Amino acid sequence: MTVPHILSWILLSPLAALSIIFWMPSNNVPLIRRIANIGVGLPFLLSLWVFFNYDYTSGGFQFEEQIPWVVPLGISYHLGIDGINGVMILLLGFGSFAGVLVSQNIQERVKRYYILLLLIVIGTYGAFLSVDIFFFYFFHEVAAIPTFLLIALWGSDRREYAAMKLTLYLTAGATLALVGLLSLYHAVGLESFDLIQIQKYLVGHPLPVEVQHWIFPLIVVGFGVTLTLWPFYTWAPVGYACAPTAVSMLHAGVLKKLGAYAILRFAVQLMPDAAETWMPIVATLAVFNILYCGLIALIQRDLKYILGYSSCSHMGYILLGLACLNVIGLNGVVFLMFAHGIMACLGFALTGFLAEQTQTRHLDELGGLLKRLPFIGTCFAMMALASAGVPGFGNFVAEIMVLLGAWDHYRWQTVAAVLGIVFTAVYMLKAIRLGFQGPIQPRWTQLTDVQTFSEKLPYIVLLTALIAAGCFPSLILKRIESGTKPNFKNTLNEVSFAKQEPNKADRPMSMASIR
Amino acid sequence: MFPIIHWNLISLELLITVTLVGLIVLDILLPPETGKDWTGLISFTALLIMIGFWSTQRNLSGETMGGMFIMDSLAWFFKGFFLLAMVFVFPMTRQFLKSLPKWRNEFYFLLWLALLGMCLVASSGDFLMLFISIEILTISLYVMTAYLKSDHHSLEAGMKYLILGALASGFLLYGISFLYGVTHSTGFAVIQGYAATHAMNPTILFGLVLIFAAIGFKIASVPFHLWVPDVYQGAPTPVTALLSVGSKAAGFVILIRLFFGVFASWHPQWSSVFAPLAALTMCYGNLGALFQTNIKRLFGYSSIGHAGYLLMGAAAGSILGASAINFYLLGYLFTNLAAFLVIVLFFVTNKSDEINDYAGLATRSPLLAGVLLLALVSLAGVPPLVGFFGKFTLLMATVQSGLLWLALIAAVNVIISLYYYLIVVKRLYVDPPRVNSPIPISSSMRFILWMAVAGIVGIGIIQGPFLEAAMTAAKGMCFLP
Repeated sequence: MTVPHILSWILLSPLAALSIIFWMPSNNVPLIRRIANIGVGLPFLLSLWVFFNYDYTSGGFQFEEQIPWVVPLGISYHLGIDGINGVMILLLGFGSFAGVLVSQNIQERVKRYYILLLLIVIGTYGAFLSVDIFFFYFFHEVAAIPTFLLIALWGSDRREYAAMKLTLYLTAGATLALVGLLSLYHAVGLESFDLIQIQKYLVGHPLPVEVQHWIFPLIVVGFGVTLTLWPFYTWAPVGYACAPTAVSMLHAGVLKKLGAYAILRFAVQLMPDAAETWMPIVATLAVFNILYCGLIALIQRDLKYILGYSSCSHMGYILLGLACLNVIGLNGVVFLMFAHGIMACLGFALTGFLAEQTQTRHLDELGGLLKRLPFIGTCFAMMALASAGVPGFGNFVAEIMVLLGAWDHYRWQTVAAVLGIVFTAVYMLKAIRLGFQGPIQPRWTQLTDVQTFSEKLPYIVLLTALIAAGCFPSLILKRIESGTKPNFKNTLNEVSFAKQEPNKADRPMSMASIR
Repeated sequence: MFPIIHWNLISLELLITVTLVGLIVLDILLPPETGKDWTGLISFTALLIMIGFWSTQRNLSGETMGGMFIMDSLAWFFKGFFLLAMVFVFPMTRQFLKSLPKWRNEFYFLLWLALLGMCLVASSGDFLMLFISIEILTISLYVMTAYLKSDHHSLEAGMKYLILGALASGFLLYGISFLYGVTHSTGFAVIQGYAATHAMNPTILFGLVLIFAAIGFKIASVPFHLWVPDVYQGAPTPVTALLSVGSKAAGFVILIRLFFGVFASWHPQWSSVFAPLAALTMCYGNLGALFQTNIKRLFGYSSIGHAGYLLMGAAAGSILGASAINFYLLGYLFTNLAAFLVIVLFFVTNKSDEINDYAGLATRSPLLAGVLLLALVSLAGVPPLVGFFGKFTLLMATVQSGLLWLALIAAVNVIISLYYYLIVVKRLYVDPPRVNSPIPISSSMRFILWMAVAGIVGIGIIQGPFLEAAMTAAKGMCFLP
């Protein structure tokens, strides 16, 4: 069965919801909420459908749609799904669906809130679905201003500072990356922004090494800001902490992964020679990410800051995986983007709920909450265990793949990365102990847990995804591998690392088939 | 012998002149107190008719009056641009004039005169013609800038603009005389022939620098930018809008014609001048805008910044660069005029241009706040708005010409500008309002505002046809080597 233009429908249904809400009177709050839920729920279901119907045995881009857009510059509206972004839109489906569901408690300026939130969702879907580099960037940047307004208007404590800092950092990174992408466009000389065409062309006409060498860092640092590459991570913890719950979820869970996705697609896949030179540096920065941010997370007492720094720290594994330049490492990266995204969404959703109920996120003021909030507490404990890499959750599979991939080339970096897992365990268990266990303070005895199914739904959905990814990783891995593997044959011409030890390249297949 | 005049080539300018004279006669015939703004209504109707007439001239090209007047795709594009700018400036003027006790109709005459000047600039094929048309434009702007006789800001602005403008005109004439001395002609065609066969020499260079000084004054480029903040702040807001869009575009149409066409063979020399000028201009404008408290002054500095971005296209010196300038200006028209519409409407009810008084505009008038938000964000270059694609094409042209350092400086400037635009956005949406009274907007003004929004968002998403129009304009230009 095929659905015509299914990817466009994914993109258009939140847009339709947005336009309907735009023309609605702002006092009809229940209807606005319902339309927003549909506008995000529908693409979620469609992306599930796409995910399961993607034919991973043949691989490549599927469900393609192409309309020439700006002909003189070679820009086309070109959507397509391969093994990598198929997983990413599924992540966004989960994240945005849960994000809109937990927004039920927004009471002021509801109409404006949903319009802005839908804009972020549209932008992110567009970026992940686009095969055209121009449209990737276009949609990627659409989210910037809505984020600013959402944080500045519905955020908490230092919201104006956080909003400005986050927007400026992300735009600065993106603009730097844009210069890199434009240089790439001219260096290729194909007069086309179409990723598939560029990839095909580069197989026969690889870019000169010296050109790759200076374009590569522009793209990696530019999108590295989005990915909270050390030392450009400082916007993230404060941004997530001050943002309203749904924005923290979307940013920490999904938008951040756009950076890794862009580095994988445009830098690693298109410029393999430069990747070999620069990636050891990236691997070292990744260790700074893991340890430095992990250490900061250790001393935080504010739940959202713990999660924020933890998220920056975990991006180190993604960077390390990208630096491996072998199939198992990249599979691990994409898997980790999915697993960490779900985990971060869940973490920020739970923290948002707690902050809403108790008006504080400070661990010293909480305590014993598990007695009053058994459901939320259990979810939090599972999130914390997932974050610490306990088997059974998706993060374990992903991190072990990254570490396996990294071991051959980056010995000491891998050892340091394992140390980071210990840090995670420490601060996550500390959060559980201080926040949920021990004697309950008298002022928290009035708290009520989530009651109805619709309130529990976002947490259930996210936990299901997390556990499913941990217990049935091959479901996702098969698709990821169909996306990462062919690119190695075409553009990376077997990567030098793989060339030295050809038997290592076969390992990912066995990983996938074991599970 | 009198040269043959091809009347159809100059028909648009003739139509403008006839309208202008007709309006003056009508003003004499009508009783002084009719209670209705006849001049404004007739002006707007005539303008719409003229746009219809303009659209029939698409394939018109040729020269007349011995090469003094040329009509080509570039002139056609920019004439449409100026007419479109007037579609926004006339309603703005109507709003603005409500606060003026008398001398209302004369303001429209001056606007028409400025329009005539701008259209002639786009069609100049000779340096003398160019000088005269620039003077027609500038002199009407001098008068309009100082129009508020009781407001010392306006008088100061007018005086400042007059003195510096006169200086720039002097530079232009002086420069032309040097070129004439070397080439024995003021016609673009002859001078281009000279440029194609001769290398640059010091006399020519001196003349060119002086001519660029006059153009730099029009487009507000460093180091000829000093008048901008004061004049933008002091002038009546419709005039500021016209200065920021029409006058700047008039400067760029000369720049494109001269430096992409007539002097194209000296491209390496002037490209190495434009690149640092572009960098300096954008840095000056954007850094200067950082701590402004008056919104018109903020737009003054931001206008310098945008001149810097536009000069990147000139530094690139390719067809893509010229097309990017054309496209960027088109986006800038909708964006900046939308912002000035909001500023006028806000001023009519609040009598203030202070950014602090804009606090909480989102609760007082969601439409005004929304339009200003879109305009600011588009100026900052955020998709899906038109400002993004403009910057994108300019950066693309810059990178294509190998000026990576300039592209990186532009990237830094985008961030600086985003900061001060977001500060205003924060005032509009986050800060609580000082007064809670709503701001009334008439339905006709609503329509104009929505038109501007349609331009900002529509061209931002469907860029193709407009970029192609900008490219056609650049490719079909006379004197293109």
